[in-house]
Amino acid sequence: MASYMSMGEAHRRITEYLNRFTDVVSYQDGTSLKQLLSLSSESPSFLALADALNLFQDANRVIRQADKYSQYAEIVAPLFRAMQSYRVGHFAESYQAFEKSANAFIQEFRNWESAWALEALYVVVYEIRVLAERADRELASNGKTPEKLKAAGSFLMKVFGVLAGKGPKRVGALYVTCQLFKVYFKLGTVHLCRSVIRSIETARIFDFEEFPVRDKVTYMYYTGRLEVLNENFPAADHKLSYALSHCDPQSEANIRMILKYLIPVKLSIGILPKRTLLEKYNLIEYVDIVLAMKRGDLRLLRHALEEHEDRFLRSGVYLVLEKLELQVYQRLVKKIYIIQKQKDPSRAHQIKLEVIVKALKWLEMEMDLDEVECIMSILIYKNLVKGYFAHKSKVAVLSKQDPFPKLNGKPINS
Amino acid sequence: MQIHYIKYLPYIRKEEDASDAMMNQGVTDTITTLDPNSLEHHAVDSSHGQPPSYYAPSTAPESASWTMYGAVNESTGNKTYPTANFSHDQRPDPQSRNNQDGLTMASVSTGSTSGAANLEYANYATTTATYPNNDPYGYGNTAYAGYYGNYQQQPNQSYPQQQPNQSSQTYVQPSQTYGQPAGAYQSTGAPHQPISTFQNTGSYPGPASYSTTYYNPGDYQTSGGYQSGNYNTQTNSWNQGSYPSYGHQHQHQHQHQHQYPNYTTDSNAAYAAQNTPAPPLQYQQDYSKQWTDYYSQTEVTCAPGTENVSSTSAPNLVSPVPVPAPVVANAYSAPNSQQVASTPSIPSSWKPEPGLSELPSVQHSAPINNVHEGYWNQGNQGYQNYHVTPMQPGFQKPMDLNPVSGSFQNQQRPEGPQGPNVQYTASHQVAQNYLPPPPPPPPLMAPQTAVPFDSNRVINKVQIPTNPRISSNIPKNNNASTVGPTKPAYISVSLPNPNDNTSSHAPADSADKPGMLPKSLRGYVERALARCKDERQMAACQNVLKEVITKASSDGTLSTRDWDTEPLFPLPNTDTINNDSTPPSSLMKTRRSPSRRAKSRWEPLPEDKPVEKQSFFTPESVKSTGSIHSIERDKQFSTGKPDNKENKFNNLKFFLSNQKETNKSIFRPAKRQHIGDGKNTPNNNNNNDSSSDSDKEQSLTAYYAGAITLADSPEEKKRRENRSKRFEKNHGNRTTTYNKPKNISPGNLYTRRASVSLLANSNSNDDGASRAVEDIDWDSLTVKGTCQEIEKRYLRLTSAPDPATVRPEEVLEKALVMVQDSQKNYLYKCDQLKSIRQDLTVQRIRNELTVKVYETHARLAIEVGDMSEINQCQSQLRTLYAEGIKGCHMEFSAYNLLSVVLHSNNSRDLLSAMSRLSIEARKDEAVKHALAVRAAVTAGNYVSFFRLYKIAPNLNTCLMDLYVEKMRYAAVKCMTRSYRPTLPVAYVAQVLGFQSTEILNENDNNNTNGLDECTDWLKAHGASIVMDNSGEMMLDAKASMASLFMPEPDDAVSHGDASLAVNDFLTRSLS
Repeated sequence: MASYMSMGEAHRRITEYLNRFTDVVSYQDGTSLKQLLSLSSESPSFLALADALNLFQDANRVIRQADKYSQYAEIVAPLFRAMQSYRVGHFAESYQAFEKSANAFIQEFRNWESAWALEALYVVVYEIRVLAERADRELASNGKTPEKLKAAGSFLMKVFGVLAGKGPKRVGALYVTCQLFKVYFKLGTVHLCRSVIRSIETARIFDFEEFPVRDKVTYMYYTGRLEVLNENFPAADHKLSYALSHCDPQSEANIRMILKYLIPVKLSIGILPKRTLLEKYNLIEYVDIVLAMKRGDLRLLRHALEEHEDRFLRSGVYLVLEKLELQVYQRLVKKIYIIQKQKDPSRAHQIKLEVIVKALKWLEMEMDLDEVECIMSILIYKNLVKGYFAHKSKVAVLSKQDPFPKLNGKPINS
Repeated sequence: MQIHYIKYLPYIRKEEDASDAMMNQGVTDTITTLDPNSLEHHAVDSSHGQPPSYYAPSTAPESASWTMYGAVNESTGNKTYPTANFSHDQRPDPQSRNNQDGLTMASVSTGSTSGAANLEYANYATTTATYPNNDPYGYGNTAYAGYYGNYQQQPNQSYPQQQPNQSSQTYVQPSQTYGQPAGAYQSTGAPHQPISTFQNTGSYPGPASYSTTYYNPGDYQTSGGYQSGNYNTQTNSWNQGSYPSYGHQHQHQHQHQHQYPNYTTDSNAAYAAQNTPAPPLQYQQDYSKQWTDYYSQTEVTCAPGTENVSSTSAPNLVSPVPVPAPVVANAYSAPNSQQVASTPSIPSSWKPEPGLSELPSVQHSAPINNVHEGYWNQGNQGYQNYHVTPMQPGFQKPMDLNPVSGSFQNQQRPEGPQGPNVQYTASHQVAQNYLPPPPPPPPLMAPQTAVPFDSNRVINKVQIPTNPRISSNIPKNNNASTVGPTKPAYISVSLPNPNDNTSSHAPADSADKPGMLPKSLRGYVERALARCKDERQMAACQNVLKEVITKASSDGTLSTRDWDTEPLFPLPNTDTINNDSTPPSSLMKTRRSPSRRAKSRWEPLPEDKPVEKQSFFTPESVKSTGSIHSIERDKQFSTGKPDNKENKFNNLKFFLSNQKETNKSIFRPAKRQHIGDGKNTPNNNNNNDSSSDSDKEQSLTAYYAGAITLADSPEEKKRRENRSKRFEKNHGNRTTTYNKPKNISPGNLYTRRASVSLLANSNSNDDGASRAVEDIDWDSLTVKGTCQEIEKRYLRLTSAPDPATVRPEEVLEKALVMVQDSQKNYLYKCDQLKSIRQDLTVQRIRNELTVKVYETHARLAIEVGDMSEINQCQSQLRTLYAEGIKGCHMEFSAYNLLSVVLHSNNSRDLLSAMSRLSIEARKDEAVKHALAVRAAVTAGNYVSFFRLYKIAPNLNTCLMDLYVEKMRYAAVKCMTRSYRPTLPVAYVAQVLGFQSTEILNENDNNNTNGLDECTDWLKAHGASIVMDNSGEMMLDAKASMASLFMPEPDDAVSHGDASLAVNDFLTRSLS
């Protein structure tokens, strides 16, 4: 396409873009501006412009020609360079130029009193992050240090500062925050989220419900994930449930992402999902785990953990799932208790250690008396079993009232 | 100060052998307990802790004089600071040395102040006292400066408080920050009478007053404003001519000064700049004045003993003051001489210091006592003697405080009794202590100093076979230390425009203290001397100065004449080369000094090429290194200021070009020296050999000074231009002048640095194309060791490594075997391994030997539970394994996993550690075991944990050991909650791994042992134990439930391992 473009055509396209840009800004048309700034959309008009720029090397001259262009030269000139580099696949350079343009844009944005350009700012913020990721991939493949995403992180912090004030622009702060989360999670510098979270949750200027739903869901998803890492299950449950309930039911991928963390959290507070849910969102890695919990099947749990270890480790829920073991033990003992009750209700509350050992043996879990005794002790200690253990007779004596208290949404005592 | 510190921190951390927290702590501990002095110091410390207060009160009124002094002091301080920081590592001695070396006039002056402090403390001979103090002073440069200023202006009022305060402050700082220094203290402290004196200091503690005088930002500002104004203009004019870059720097400095209130560090830099111009003479005078003041103060506050001292010191001081330049030199020398005297003994004393942990010092203590008595006497004698010789060096090197000190030492050594030495050591320690606080500025310097320390240590410690090279290094080190980082600082200090300082000082001093030389005269003398490049010139200059001054005094114009405007007499021509040296350079150096030490430190070292070696010897080369450092410093300081970079570059260029020129000419002489050193030095290791060392030092210092001076002075511009030619012609002369017969031993460090600079120059070329430090091909500069000693003490590098003290790979292999076969304790091995690691790092050796060393160290550390070393080794091993170097990867993966599980237990760390495990790794026995342990810990499964504990492969047991207590406690808590009514203790003992159950079956004794142990443990944790009918011990679960508690470990040590406690450490290392 580019090869067929004449110089005149290229010049025409460039001036057309510049005209549109200046018009859009003067009319404060945020939606149109958004389109003009979006690199990664790779729309036909953008591609044509990029080709034109590459053909017509001296776009800066055009910008300088007219005052109405040159007043936005700081934004447009680097933006053109970013487009050119993007078109030829030099993402690191493209990022560099785009960040410059974005900086200038932020300056302008700061001066616009109304928030009409919020949409455009969103695009800039998004482009910054996406471009940085691509640039880092490019840098890494060239054996260089990927550092653009980090740079994007600090740029986004700057944008956050621009938005985090009184006025109509503040509703944009959460979007930037979410983009920051994405950056930090990708970089593995999750601890950096804390400062942003603090300002979102404590600053008076923000009313959380005032933010766009989209951002609220994203925010709750990420903060929920943080709580999972901290093993603060009630908080994680709250946040992820909020995200789930406000998430657009149509975007199944998002729901799946939320469920990926919500399910382990729910499991660890004793709430099991239906199989259909797991199947609907293709979360079958949890199927066996849920089954193991229902059956008290320790072997199945361990097997499931082993099978999906990599996945669980990567998503960070492995340690959470591993702790479900105690609930599986509880279920197993409860089953024994129920069977005993059917046989001999009067002595059902006394469970001999040998019986548990035997049950475990059936599950091919070789554990000796001491170990099982230890586990019973832990179960009692964690209040998963009510009662006491008599060491002399090697018998666990269960309480006659509610010997297996349900968690009911509360985490295991620790 | 705090800011400085912070800046340093990264540095410290970077260092592979990060200073051991334990060491520091230990030091402090020792200080408190061992040294009465230290105790006092602590008290002081409390005051010290009030740095803000310092700043708050400003002595602004006297700002003019203050500024001068402060500038000088600061500059010195800066210089010393770096050393101090590095010295933290445990090498107080090097610091002191540096101080000595660097003790140009400025340092001397500081010395005097410090001396006052010392006097108070231990009644040390004033001179000796000053020396040690000097170092410390240098550290707290600004503070000192402030003191000085106060002293001068308000000698009477502020002095008493200030003096004590200063002493206390300095002391305090050391104790707090530097454990090592403390160690040194201990040694000295124990024997010392000083205790009483120290107590005095304790009483002194007018922390508040301290604070005011010390850091007052206000003072600084004022001083900055005053001085800077003058300075800047002066410097600018100088710079403008040939060195635009300099001008920039100056400006920067000025800015810094202005900023002072805000930036302490910056202020230092600025101060240094200001200081640079100040001539040595001024300092001396000031010192003397101060001293007198101090003394008077000390008399008031101090113990009777101190009073005496002070009185004596006062006279000394006074005498120097009235006397013209020579006199001053004497005064200076006196302190120096004391030091020198001490230096012979120093090695021993030093050793203790470096070894703080190791063996500080009986020697110290003994000497100290002696010192007290003999101090003054010696000092006096030394003065006389020194006057002749020391004076010259001092003057010659006016620019370089260090050289002077070095020369002094030399002279003193022969004369000075050991007693003085002792004092010296004490002072050194102090200095060390001080150093820590100042650290920020000195970073660059520090590395160098560290090296010297090492050498000193080696020398000092007879125990360790000293390498001839090492011994030779000692002098070198000193030189190097001074030259490298310190020198720049010093230079700046000493060099500081004599004019400004002198002028400002002169009025105040003259007014305040009769009999003193007018400040302006001092400035004049400084200026005159500053021009001198080498000792010969200095001597000649001094003679001329004497004439001038005597003439002036005879016709009564001494105090009336405007010395500031008095034209300088033409330089007597001793050496063309020497003539070139001018003071101005100091400014540049100071600027630079603050920045980039870290970088330099970490940069690969230059290789030993024949050419490079030659360069080593050349004084100029030294200079060049100094310049680089300074540049680096500048960068650091500059941060925040846009202009800095440019300046840096310019400076670099400048230096490089200078270096180049100098190097060319110098190389030949250097070579000769080098050879001589290499072979001659071996025997010099003993302390008694100090003379040769000191000579070397002197020569080196002289060189440095000359080099330093060269940098900035306007006069030098022309000289520089012509230099290359001169050098070619002057080769012979230079060698003779620079290299004194005994001076032959050049600092290898210097050479290296020089070589680096050379390289840089070669890159940049004379055309002036400035090359950033980053552009230098550091790879080509990597050190190649030549040391053949198998055993070597670890000293954290504070400067570029000296190839002569670095062991090549084959020697390191032997060293590793030696350590592995050694029957000595962990502390010894740790020390040795760290030195091996250091040598590997310095030579950039990364192969299987490296892995082996780290593995060996990690295993040893695991055995004794030294977590900090474990972590260091682990992180190194991780990168080494990642590079594909073979080793016991699996074994250490397991250790790594266990460390995370048992000690940090951060779920994110754990997840990443687990996800990093490869499939093969998961099949490995050790890794499997570690994973099982992890599972047991997360589940709280104590039975499984203790079973795994018993079957742990490799050293997994040792790591688990560290978690046993926690696990047992959690288990018992769980048991008391879940068991009813009772639980046999025997079962608890068995399940919780008290002794092994297997043995129980075979041997009843062991069983009961385990039972008893368990019973004791349970009791210690508040469990209630009852006897059942059969007489069996039972744990009463219900009763115990509420009474369980985790007792404070009675052997708790902050660093987590009682076996590493300092006291223990010291005694063990002695054995």
